[in-house]
Amino acid sequence: MKIAAATLRRFTAVHTWTGLVAGFALFVAFYAGAITVAREEVVRWHASASPDRVQTLDDAQRLLDAVLRLHAEAHRHVGLLFPGVELPTAVAYWQDGAGTWQYATSDDPYGSPRRPLTALTDLVDALHYSLGLPGVGIYLMGVASLLYGVALFSGVVIHLPKLVEDLFALRAGANLKRLWQDAHNVIGVLGLPMHLMFATTGALLCLMFVFAAALDPLVFGGRLMQALPGALDTAPARAPAERAAAPAPLALWHARAIEAARRRGVAGFEPAYLKLDHAGDANGVVEITGRAAGALGAQGSVALDAASGALLAVQLPGSRDANHAAFAAAYALHFGDYGGDAVRVLYVLLGLAGAFLFYSGNLLWIESRRKRRRLRQGRAQVGMARATVGVCIGFCVAISTTFVAAQTFAAFAPARAESGLRLACFAVWAAAIAWAAVRPPARGARELLWAAALATAAVPLAHGLVSAWWPWRSAAAGRWAPFAVDVGALALASAFAALARASARRARDGDPHSVWADPARRDAAPDVPPAL
Amino acid sequence: MNRADLCSRALAGALPGFFVAAAAVGLAVRLAPGSWQAAIVPGLIAFAPAWIAAFGSAFLFAEARRAWLVLGAAAALGFALLHVVVACGWAS
Repeated sequence: MKIAAATLRRFTAVHTWTGLVAGFALFVAFYAGAITVAREEVVRWHASASPDRVQTLDDAQRLLDAVLRLHAEAHRHVGLLFPGVELPTAVAYWQDGAGTWQYATSDDPYGSPRRPLTALTDLVDALHYSLGLPGVGIYLMGVASLLYGVALFSGVVIHLPKLVEDLFALRAGANLKRLWQDAHNVIGVLGLPMHLMFATTGALLCLMFVFAAALDPLVFGGRLMQALPGALDTAPARAPAERAAAPAPLALWHARAIEAARRRGVAGFEPAYLKLDHAGDANGVVEITGRAAGALGAQGSVALDAASGALLAVQLPGSRDANHAAFAAAYALHFGDYGGDAVRVLYVLLGLAGAFLFYSGNLLWIESRRKRRRLRQGRAQVGMARATVGVCIGFCVAISTTFVAAQTFAAFAPARAESGLRLACFAVWAAAIAWAAVRPPARGARELLWAAALATAAVPLAHGLVSAWWPWRSAAAGRWAPFAVDVGALALASAFAALARASARRARDGDPHSVWADPARRDAAPDVPPAL
Repeated sequence: MNRADLCSRALAGALPGFFVAAAAVGLAVRLAPGSWQAAIVPGLIAFAPAWIAAFGSAFLFAEARRAWLVLGAAAALGFALLHVVVACGWAS
């Protein structure tokens, strides 16, 4: 396909600028997102040291009763995680008078703003969708998703003239830039459906309410915000009757939800959490959400009258409206929650490949501005090399350090885990960025890659030392979730070590006219082009 | 190609492009079979790709001015259609 040269240049500029603005945020989103896909495994890995006793529905009932007895605010709205699905223990949560979410377990029915057991996965998740910035972070990530979409659009246009002939090309010759360009293109093109899906669903999950607020007066005559809860919730909105009625037992709700799903042809519906509105009122409503295996958009929910347990509404695979089907599908596609463990493994790999896409994009930017006969490269190239190394590789070091810190806090100071992990993550990340800012890029990259390899290799080590669940013991006992995390960390550590060795080789033997050449060679050689 | 030209196109893609995407999503949702309330989430999902496509198209035109003209006209036409559709009672 032929495209005018001026058009190609314009799209190259668009691709460059969107990459420069959003690339770092997207690297963080993809690397942290690859880990978020394995959220349940990481939770179990983190909790290895504490006993594995899975609570029962009776424990959950006692927790719910205690929370409703102790906290008047919880009567308006309370949520409860069923035990043994995501976490071994039941967790209840509600908003206190100031609007702060409170979390309670059987050990602590009074509740606190700290979420139990999930400090590590919550931090990784927050980095994934908001860079860990409270408030504005989620909107920034939404804008990054939109820019990501623009980068994909422009990237496809630039690559279009050679897309077909270059699709399977990975030219590993003397021209290193060609190899990186091929790798960047092949990951971008073969992963394009997934990337388009992430750009779309990422923007949706971050900006849905912003889009809704903007479109409401333009195309819905101001009636959208009113209609939105009906499009997203299953339970019908009911005002309290101001008449007391004891809620039915939790076990009854649980059984009724499974029964309602079974009658609609959804076998194996597994309730994960419930939302209870107007607890103790005659108009109380309970909405039970769970997963049904074997459907795209496995999430479904059943709404019951809280007092009688009578069925009010269902949104389940095969029997739901377009709104719920579309949202469940978008959610499942974004989190790889539709094809079992094989799809999730694929999502972890595609997530890491996506992170590589943004990293390689920055390297290609530096390479395309390389001064071919100059040993001393321009300030922009050196600055970009330092920022890429510090932010991207530094983030990998920070995440692995946070995993190690998670085991350490779990063993010695579980009450401080949440703030401790945040501090460990951001302090290490900032230190890595500072280190990259003062070191020559070639050395900074090698050193931070070795730091990433060591920190990542320390992940299974810390897990084994704290909990005595070494990988071979986990495997022998069939605890595959922590085993997968340990083995995944070892694989990543060896990948970082291989990259560290490759960049050391490149600094020593590669073209000296580059930011990636060792500065000792630059000082040894005069800054004059060799005679041709 | 210069920076002012690129910025002008980006603005055309961001502003009139936004209204083109809004009108397209609005028409699709209001003309969907059944009530428009039943197509809210598909509409919201479609909005981001629609806006991205409109934004990207601003860089396809030969001149920045033409990007403004075409996207502006498309937005005006889209909203005019939406009003006709609503006024004639064809929309849910």
